[in-house]
Amino acid sequence: MGFLLRIWRGSPDPPRFCAVRQLYRIVNIINSPEARGRGLLRRWLSERQLAQFDAFNFFDVIGCQTAKRYRIYYATAANVEELDKGGHPLMRYCFVPTGDLVPGDVMLAQKIALETDELAALELANKFQPSPQRLA
Amino acid sequence: MATQIVMDHTGDRRHQFDPQNAFELADAEKRFRELTGKGFTAAARSAAGETIKVASFDPTAEETVFFPRLVGG
Repeated sequence: MGFLLRIWRGSPDPPRFCAVRQLYRIVNIINSPEARGRGLLRRWLSERQLAQFDAFNFFDVIGCQTAKRYRIYYATAANVEELDKGGHPLMRYCFVPTGDLVPGDVMLAQKIALETDELAALELANKFQPSPQRLA
Repeated sequence: MATQIVMDHTGDRRHQFDPQNAFELADAEKRFRELTGKGFTAAARSAAGETIKVASFDPTAEETVFFPRLVGG
């Protein structure tokens, strides 16, 4: 911080300093754990899932063993819902990777689990009734 | 170059290796065994873009993601 203040005080060109500061801020945002997790998730989503995620911050996954549809929300816990044929939530699941992972990583792990070993993931998941606001 | 991506609290750690280089390949295989031995799940994508679980080290996989053991939350 002191370094930045010295540059600012001695800078004959404050607008240029502001631009440099903004660039630092952008680089920090791009390299944050959340941004990295989100970036990795986006690379692993199918075209359809990516469009859905960019529009709504969630995406749907088809279970590999039952062909049921699940919706994964941008969060780190209790963020997976099983949907009926009409797209209404039937059940909410909570299963997460151990460790303090960012939402993008948690969502990618859940997607991979449901697409490759659905029943094993559901077996260890805690189950809840879907939240009322999502029922509407 | 192939990449092994290991999820952690920083987002992820990435390890690149050249599948044509025997030393790097051995290192990557060792990392695969260590991670899966600790309970990490390894996954890759097929040419069609399908997600597949990887049970043993695949030197031809361009990108392999590892995530820690799943638990009920």
